[in-house]
Amino acid sequence: MIFQLFWTYIKIGTFTIGGGYAMLPLIEREVVDKHHWLDGEEYANMIALAQAAPGLIAVNSAIFIGHRLAGWKGVLACVLGAVLPSIIIILLIAMFFRDIKDNPTIEAIFKGVRPAVVALIAATVVRLATKI
Amino acid sequence: MQYLLLTYVFLKVGLLGFGGGMAIISLIQGEVLSRGWLTQTEFVDIVAISQVTPGPVGMNCATYVGYAVGGLWGALVASVAIVVPSLVIMLTICYVYDVIRNRFQQNRTFQVTMRIIRILVVLLVAHAAYTLMTPASFIDWKSWVIFAVVFILMLLPLFPQKSTSSSSLTSTFSNPILLILLSGLAGWLLYRL
Repeated sequence: MIFQLFWTYIKIGTFTIGGGYAMLPLIEREVVDKHHWLDGEEYANMIALAQAAPGLIAVNSAIFIGHRLAGWKGVLACVLGAVLPSIIIILLIAMFFRDIKDNPTIEAIFKGVRPAVVALIAATVVRLATKI
Repeated sequence: MQYLLLTYVFLKVGLLGFGGGMAIISLIQGEVLSRGWLTQTEFVDIVAISQVTPGPVGMNCATYVGYAVGGLWGALVASVAIVVPSLVIMLTICYVYDVIRNRFQQNRTFQVTMRIIRILVVLLVAHAAYTLMTPASFIDWKSWVIFAVVFILMLLPLFPQKSTSSSSLTSTFSNPILLILLSGLAGWLLYRL
């Protein structure tokens, strides 16, 4: 269970591009639809609580799910999973690839990804509305 | 000394950063500029990189600023410090929520209140989606095509499917990870080749 939580959050952390809301479609897919760890109502309650607390929404939601499913060990697994991809990738970029944002290929890829992320969040609105 | 200062600054950002990513970035900006840790240009570059790399944007920014100020250890110190207030406050909220939920689950007022909060959450996420519809993300008609395709693919599973095979197909394509990878590929094909 602990490892499954950690691995799920590694996936969520790796594919969240942008702010905390970009994490919601991934959490919905993994936590609600695939593993049924939360139902639709609890998922919406979680968003409300994660938003109400200070700090990163992504981290707050990881704390909620970790706590709900496996206590403090779950909290550690989810939070570590959510932030490790961030830390590792940023460190690699800061140390070796500072010019990455000026790379035309990376820029083109992100021209495709940005509207997709907005679409994922917009779709979350509709999907959420059918679940509450 | 520098690590202590980084710890203090990012504990403060984690404690006062209400509203997620961009609110946190503006707090970090205030701190690093007023302390002369980075110039405005350096900070803008860090924010740009934070937005185009995987992971929550606030975490990316904290790790990068920590690295810029104090190297590898600075990055770790900043990353841990920004999470600590969340751990304390969010865990407290979780405990309180569990107690209230167990006690009042059958209570009509509690059910109605939570239902209103959930409706507000939908509006909140709708607002977030709306504010993200900026010219920076939607540069031309191709952006809107990508938006429309992803939006429709994500909503297809909501409609009843005729056969189980088409149902498993729509559920394959409503995978956010797959759609992010495909949209990146589409960006490369549409804007680079």
